[in-house]
Amino acid sequence: MKRKSVVIPGFGLTTGVTLAILSVVVLIPLASLVVFSAQMSASEIIDVITRPRVLSSFKVSFLTAFVASLINAVMGVILAWVLVRYTFPLKRIVDGTIELPFALPTAVAGIALTALTADTGLVGGFFANFGIKIAFTRIGITVALVFIGIPFVVRAVQPVLEKLDPAYEEAAGVLGASRMRIFWKVILPELIPAIFTGFGLAFGRCLGEYGSVVFIAGNMPFETEIAPLIIMSELQEYDYSSATTIALVMLVASFITLFLVNVVQNRNAKILKGGS
Amino acid sequence: MSTAIQGGLHRDTKGSKLVRYSLIGISLLFVFLMLILPLITVITEAFKQGFAVYSKAVADDYTIKAILLTLEASFFAVAINTVFGLCAAWSLTKFKFKGKKILATLIDLPVTVSPIIAGLIFLLTFGRQSPIFPLLQDADIKIVFAVPGIVLATIFVTFPFISRELIPVLESQGTDEEEAAALMGAKGFTIFRRITFPHIKWAFLYGVVLCAARAMGEFGAVSVISGHLRGKTNTLPLHVEILFNEFQYVPAFAVASILVMLAILILVARSVIEHKGRKK
Amino acid sequence: MYVELKHINKHFGNFKASDDVTVGIEKGKLIGLLGPSGSGKTTILRMIAGLENPDSGEIIIDGKVINDVPASKRGIGFVFQSYALFRYMTVFDNVAFGLKIAKKPANEIKERVHELLELVGLSGLEKRYPSELSGGQRQRVAFARALAPNPQLLLLDEPFAAIDAKVRQELRSWLKGMIQKLGVTSIFVTHDQDEAIEVADEIIITNRGRIEQVGTPYEVYSNPKTAFTASFFGQPSIFKDYSNFRRFDVLENAENAIVRPEFVKVTKKTEVQKYKNSAEEGVVEEVDFRGYGIELRVRVNGVLLTARRSFDQPRIKVGEKVDVFIYRMFVTQGDTATLLENKSLREPVVVI
Repeated sequence: MKRKSVVIPGFGLTTGVTLAILSVVVLIPLASLVVFSAQMSASEIIDVITRPRVLSSFKVSFLTAFVASLINAVMGVILAWVLVRYTFPLKRIVDGTIELPFALPTAVAGIALTALTADTGLVGGFFANFGIKIAFTRIGITVALVFIGIPFVVRAVQPVLEKLDPAYEEAAGVLGASRMRIFWKVILPELIPAIFTGFGLAFGRCLGEYGSVVFIAGNMPFETEIAPLIIMSELQEYDYSSATTIALVMLVASFITLFLVNVVQNRNAKILKGGS
Repeated sequence: MSTAIQGGLHRDTKGSKLVRYSLIGISLLFVFLMLILPLITVITEAFKQGFAVYSKAVADDYTIKAILLTLEASFFAVAINTVFGLCAAWSLTKFKFKGKKILATLIDLPVTVSPIIAGLIFLLTFGRQSPIFPLLQDADIKIVFAVPGIVLATIFVTFPFISRELIPVLESQGTDEEEAAALMGAKGFTIFRRITFPHIKWAFLYGVVLCAARAMGEFGAVSVISGHLRGKTNTLPLHVEILFNEFQYVPAFAVASILVMLAILILVARSVIEHKGRKK
Repeated sequence: MYVELKHINKHFGNFKASDDVTVGIEKGKLIGLLGPSGSGKTTILRMIAGLENPDSGEIIIDGKVINDVPASKRGIGFVFQSYALFRYMTVFDNVAFGLKIAKKPANEIKERVHELLELVGLSGLEKRYPSELSGGQRQRVAFARALAPNPQLLLLDEPFAAIDAKVRQELRSWLKGMIQKLGVTSIFVTHDQDEAIEVADEIIITNRGRIEQVGTPYEVYSNPKTAFTASFFGQPSIFKDYSNFRRFDVLENAENAIVRPEFVKVTKKTEVQKYKNSAEEGVVEEVDFRGYGIELRVRVNGVLLTARRSFDQPRIKVGEKVDVFIYRMFVTQGDTATLLENKSLREPVVVI
């Protein structure tokens, strides 16, 4: 049984400070969003959301975020696998570099990727030979989102893979299962919750991403305009109601994602604690 | 552990070697293309027209002002999140109370909110259409399109960064040592300084580094709340954006290179701290 | 009474950790709080220390109600189950901590710490960190640290739980000797009956938040008053219906019969048995080697009993028919336990 103490001082002070800062920085601002949107009528809200340009921005946002997270799920597992199971030169540097998207300002990532994938850029120039454009297309948005999302999957899968009991695989090996079979039937099922967690976190982050996308997207209405960008342009025209409405939709979407991730993560935590 | 698997049970067949080398190859290629190459691009673009142009762009008045504002906003954000992180971690791990889970969830909430929306909510709270706007105006307090707004938005996007690092460490450490010290009559601050802090030193430093990194690089939220007043409310990332949109590519990448170097510094600091923390 | 608890109640959520606990402890005694896990023994200890507040009831130390006295002002030394040594302080700093908080002069602190470390046999290890010590050494440091401010009452939570079985034995006698030498009133919590019996002057038995019985180790062992105490000690065989064992009084509303191994004498058919006439026949189902001798499992009248024999006695094999004589048993009626003697013991005996 876990007990918490009555003799340790500081409960009032620390909880008070916590609640005070939380209120000023998070609760009151979020509440003002709710208050503001409560002043709008349902028809106004539906009106904003069903504008073709808004609808298409949702489509672009969800589609690119989904595809990017899918790519990250696959690449994340490969990277985690390579980092946990193999030794090779530069391994420590690779491991550290995974964290780069957390450390590099998104705007910098955005202009760098744009320069790289534009027709004049190193990578963009190569693909232009085949008639494939990256920058200023949905492919470009996806590339930026892959950059943003990759650490989420790797960091979710890595600890589970490290904890995975080798006895499992050994047992499967003794029973004569081939390596591919062992991976699909023994290892992958263990990793699924972690992959899903990483996928969900990356997806949530990608949905809201702005800095890295705004440069590479080109921001053509109906083509490469993402939802955060629409919010931004509504704000620049001081149309706070439309901006708030679109923001609400995005908030609900990311809270649902977070909720699903939490459900899976709770199960995942049990696996990590049990060790097998 | 891993080598035991490879060397022991599974013989290194030709097929398995092929799988291993192709997986390593794919990984290296991915990391190089997606992560390393963009960094190199920033540096090469920045120096495209030589060192003189580079240093002129970096030493530009607006750039210096943007650096100072970025440092100022980051300093306040880190300071307030430090106070918050320490208090929240102490409260959530040393005591049992109703609503604790909800509190923990609320603290984590900001990271799931899009930076643009983070900026928007401060605009709605303190901006022109807010009910408290007249009050702020009477008191001559500017928040939106001014430094306080930038600081608030930055605190928001980095909100759980420090508490998130501290809570698991304190959780696993338990409360026995603090109880023992309290039984001997030690006061709160003494207990924290002498008993608790040595346990969380590295996690705390790690959290501060993460918080500082994100604070210096925040773009979306700050972009909404700052109003883009050049030389007044422009942070470094915003300054990069303006230069880029004005097709001043070399200066844009020159300023960006400062942020790249900060990012590399942070990654190195991160791995050093993690290494030290692990040894303990 | 030096320490008194009066009608203490304590809940954790729906869990009743203390249920009207009333008990007193004399000055200078070494008390063992004994009970299974979840019986509320640690809660009692933590409430005396002030680490937990009772929902109702009074805690009295030395004649004063101390419910509202902060833990640090109660004059108590506390040794935690996991010792709770300050991991980032040396042995010296650990022991000195309480004295430094009390703002004692530096030379006095130094003197006292060295005196204590000498007492617990750790002189020379002042500069070590807890991680560089063995389990037994850590316990000694925890002990010295608790004693440093000269407490009037020493509380120890499962003091031997974190120590290897081999060292534990040695530490038990060490701790008992040390506490007797210092004469400080001490209470320790344990779930290990042997430990309580060996170390304590007096045992308080707890079960489901209540005090079952208080007495010297001999009293609680040989004269259990409650059904729980009777079944807690030894290695009892417990069964429902004892009417087949003819030589015992039949009590009304009897629930269980409890027979300890030392209440049973097993003899081979060829051996001399003083009470042969009143012995029952049993079949041996298990013969196990134990360090102290042989442990037998014998089925008598459909009941499986545990019994012991020494190595000197002739060997018994599994499946062998033997004579089983039961000297006494405890019979429980509701919460109380009654000791019944075999009636043959009171009758004149004819040796065949």
